[in-house]
Amino acid sequence: MKNTLVIAKSTFRQTIRDKILYGIVVFALIFLGSTVVLGSLSLGEEVFVIRNLGLAGIYIFGLIITIFLGATIVYDEVEKRTTYFLLSKPVSRADVVMGKFLGLLAAVSITTLLMLGAYLLTVVLSGGNFDYLSIGAVFLQIMEMAVLIAILILFSVFTTPLAATIYTILILYIGHLLPLIKQYALNSGLVAKYILTAVYYIFPNLEKFDIRNLIVHQIQVSFKESAISVGYAVIYVVLVVYLAQLLLNKKEL
Amino acid sequence: MILIKNISKTYDGITNAVDNLSLTIQSGSVFGFLGPNGAGKTTAIKMLVGINTPDAGSIMIGDESPLAVSTRENIGFMPEEPHFYDQLTGLEFLEFSSDLFKNSRGKSKTELEEILKKVNIYEARHSKIRTYSKGMKQRLGFAQAIVNDPTYIFLDEPLEGLDPIGRREIKKIIETIKEEGKTIFFNSHILADVEALCDQIGIIHKGRLIYSGPVNQFRKDMSLEDQFVKTIKSL
Repeated sequence: MKNTLVIAKSTFRQTIRDKILYGIVVFALIFLGSTVVLGSLSLGEEVFVIRNLGLAGIYIFGLIITIFLGATIVYDEVEKRTTYFLLSKPVSRADVVMGKFLGLLAAVSITTLLMLGAYLLTVVLSGGNFDYLSIGAVFLQIMEMAVLIAILILFSVFTTPLAATIYTILILYIGHLLPLIKQYALNSGLVAKYILTAVYYIFPNLEKFDIRNLIVHQIQVSFKESAISVGYAVIYVVLVVYLAQLLLNKKEL
Repeated sequence: MILIKNISKTYDGITNAVDNLSLTIQSGSVFGFLGPNGAGKTTAIKMLVGINTPDAGSIMIGDESPLAVSTRENIGFMPEEPHFYDQLTGLEFLEFSSDLFKNSRGKSKTELEEILKKVNIYEARHSKIRTYSKGMKQRLGFAQAIVNDPTYIFLDEPLEGLDPIGRREIKKIIETIKEEGKTIFFNSHILADVEALCDQIGIIHKGRLIYSGPVNQFRKDMSLEDQFVKTIKSL
């Protein structure tokens, strides 16, 4: 466990210093600031527009950062042979995968929290109340990013960064369509029903983490519902990270 | 002692990268592992440090397999043309490497800086690794290989990419480490350095060991390089 944390710390340091990451964060902050201008175009709904666009912006930029950092994380480690340093030391391949996951999650969380801070400030400066509900929305967004990081790490073990990015975007798309797919499965024939049900259970249900719309309309989500979403994320992450570790174990370096 | 018994490694089920290799390396000796490009040197060293496992045969370092955590606590390894985490500084990378070993975890900054002084990159300790030259990276690779004060040190082309001054410095460090009673196993193309440093050599060609023993016994009345070329060409 200690070595997992040592690798996580180093991964965090490495990713947080990436200049491209700074570029994305700066762009995100400019976007959050610009929501004030867009809000002023609406008639008496400034704060609503700022909250709507702000939370959407945090999500989109969080997603960009996650995919940008995650797609190469294990691939680079293998291609650049930095794994040789690690695996000749008392480090297991599971330590490498878990360390990379935790380090990357920490980097994504910090940048997301930075965007959240800018968003909360923008809302307050625009005359709105302290939007504490949005903290819950962003927390669940971080859970979604954790699932995506685990998936990116899994793909990064056996494919190129471009392919990992494309597969993850596809999973992201399907993951947000799953409630619809479940509905569709109920009205389908037997074979289609089984296939669609399998898709529903295999792919991550990312809609569980999307409460932004409710929050924008000041609708509170119950603690129980949020806890179920967090539990779902933890179980999904553990399974995917375990699978990534199994694949890395089989990989000839 | 390092005991390698009949190890083989096949890639994609076809290419025999290492074929039935057996070697015994005495404790406290410097062993040079030679061979042309693609002979199987790096494959062998990766198995010795536990990065990969042999398809057949066994490796014992001390009394244990290199896959055992306790063995790896006592191993130092420098890969060929080392790549690093470019956004870290040299000191941060060394601290990271040190923290991965139980016996060197929490080494003080001063202790780590001493190691960087030893390999002559102390001045660049706070610079990011991406700004390092090839030679500096090579030295950092060497520094992380000795950070845990290992009993067994494996070096894959340690003198590659160094200027003559750098090569002399690293050779000097190898000699110092040898005097401390460490066992050193290294792959190299630079036969003059092998001749100067090694007690024993092993020569591998197309995955098979063709010679193992003292340097003098192999080279006879020729230079090591001439005898090496002659031997390889005759196969």
